[in-house]
Amino acid sequence: MARRPDEEYDYLFKVVLIGDSGVGKSNLLSRFTRNEFCLESKSTIGVEFATRTLQVEGRTVKAQIWDTAGQERYRAITSAYYRGALGALLVYDVTKPTTFENVSRWLKELRDHADANIVIMLIGNKTDLKHLRAVATEDAQGFAEKEGLSFIETSALEAINVEKAFQTILSEIYRIISKKSLSSDEPAPASIKEGKTLVVGGSEVNAKKTCCATS
Amino acid sequence: MMSNSTNNSNSNSSHREDDRKESNSTLTGVDSRFNQTLRNVQGLLKGRSFPGKVLITRRSDPISDSGLRSPDIDRSFSDKDAGTSEQLDDSVEDEIQSNSKTNSSSTKSRSLTVNTESTSKESQKSTMGARATDSARLTKFTKALSGPTVILDKMRELAWSGVPSYLRPTVWRLLLGYAPPNSDRREGVLRRKRVEYLDCVAQYYDVPDTERTDEEVTMLRQIAVDCPRTVPDVSFFQQAEVQKSLERILYTWAIRHPASGYVQGINDLATPFLVVFLSEYLEGSVDNWSILDLPLEKISNIEADCYWCLSKLLDGMQDHYTFAQPGIQRLVFKLKELVRRIDEPVSRHMEEQGLEFLQFAFRWFNCLLIREIPFNLVTRLWDTYLAEGDALPDFLVYIFASFLLTWSDKLQKLDFQEMVMFLQHLPTQNWTHLELEMVLSRAYMWHTMFNSSPSHLAS
Repeated sequence: MARRPDEEYDYLFKVVLIGDSGVGKSNLLSRFTRNEFCLESKSTIGVEFATRTLQVEGRTVKAQIWDTAGQERYRAITSAYYRGALGALLVYDVTKPTTFENVSRWLKELRDHADANIVIMLIGNKTDLKHLRAVATEDAQGFAEKEGLSFIETSALEAINVEKAFQTILSEIYRIISKKSLSSDEPAPASIKEGKTLVVGGSEVNAKKTCCATS
Repeated sequence: MMSNSTNNSNSNSSHREDDRKESNSTLTGVDSRFNQTLRNVQGLLKGRSFPGKVLITRRSDPISDSGLRSPDIDRSFSDKDAGTSEQLDDSVEDEIQSNSKTNSSSTKSRSLTVNTESTSKESQKSTMGARATDSARLTKFTKALSGPTVILDKMRELAWSGVPSYLRPTVWRLLLGYAPPNSDRREGVLRRKRVEYLDCVAQYYDVPDTERTDEEVTMLRQIAVDCPRTVPDVSFFQQAEVQKSLERILYTWAIRHPASGYVQGINDLATPFLVVFLSEYLEGSVDNWSILDLPLEKISNIEADCYWCLSKLLDGMQDHYTFAQPGIQRLVFKLKELVRRIDEPVSRHMEEQGLEFLQFAFRWFNCLLIREIPFNLVTRLWDTYLAEGDALPDFLVYIFASFLLTWSDKLQKLDFQEMVMFLQHLPTQNWTHLELEMVLSRAYMWHTMFNSSPSHLAS
């Protein structure tokens, strides 16, 4: 059986969302994959998962995103998901300086557990809380340059720069992957999964129902 | 009431059943609990076949008469029940088809056949009506609670199938070993424990941050982040005072249990205690409660009870929340093994798709299924948890296998990504007590079957 048209993709990119608890990782993910924001969201336990297929540099890319729990106790569980990830979105909260201070610790986590050439993007979330801002854009920008990360500020609530953040990291991953396959003459990287038979059930409907839109 | 002859007809199979309750049950105890479970299932199945070879004769009672719900619950859920009975029938049917394929191994069929005989005899008698059973059960509870000493084994056996909501606070305190079984000591112990809790709060919580270590500050910050997002879909938990109570309970517990400290998800585990102990003082639906209606002294008593009961519950699962959470990892592994024994096709499909049990079942164990079912069903589920006592961690594996295989057919049609998404957002929003009873009854049956041959799970 062939894959359904909307399930066709050229590349499958695995990306992890990491960062301190409560910085808005899950809402960045739901904004990106379902265009939803949940004011009453629960803490993430272990890992959660979502995907979205989109156009990147003229190619169809399926982004497979693993959203991880922020609390330190879960690192032993969540770090297992870093393996095979091509990108990491490292999120802090622009209103909470400690979440920015902890970014270095998260970078160390990635260096210890993720692939060496993983693409990392630093994200300062919650820019909608203007009057509460406690981390200056310049400070984060400077830090990102020093560490060789790309950087963007977002508001998952107001849907500002969320699309751009994901587009940017996926493009970067694409450039690296396509360069690699050119040089090695391999047509596709290992993370591309093809030929799987899909029977699509009601899972997407269910996913929608569980959000706070109903309450 | 069931006659003794029914119980006797079961006794040949119960030699196997009672393994699971080595310490705390007598033969008749297991018998009657097993019968109660069967009665639940009969009501739910209405003559359909059960996994393997069990046939249960048709009952003419309407499905809403079958449960063991207390009058309170009946009132608040009856509308819903009526609306979903058809849907339940469908899911039950799916279930049976999927299971009948898999339960063909000879050991399993043999033990089921034994049950079959008692089941059909049982069901003939039970057509006398479930209402009578309800009031008989209430009488049993009242009687078990009224003596000078509560026999805990007896209480566990009764509570396993559900506790009437107005007795729940008393029964839970007893089952958890917080309130002593001797009625003349009970008041004194509770009074002392409540004072002790207040002292702890004063000593650990009511201090300035400057007196806390860095770790303690981090922990308190984490708890403060999580309290506002605890059961956010139930508005009662959005009340500031409720969140403060939760924060005090969690922080005090965390400080006194440094091996684990606070771990996200423990906040969820405190919520059933809060609603149950509050229900002694606040009437009606949780949605209409206001904690400000209670005097401070009452609130602090309730908080203390929650604290001690949470402590007792977590004492039985100490390594679930320590570094790397080895207790949970072990149970997730056991769950995978058990599912493989029960439902090989699903197990193989999941394996072929590269789905790992840790990817969905971790949260189940970490939050004891609170995240997976509607909040109004949680206390009923916890009746069974608390009745299991020390055996709970092992029994969770059976409950979760039963829960997972509710969607056995569905899962086999999904690929990896669809499965992960489905399992992280299970369609339980419209579940009623009926679906939950189904999960529990099947868990009980499987436990009875598999525990009789422990090598089933050795690998």
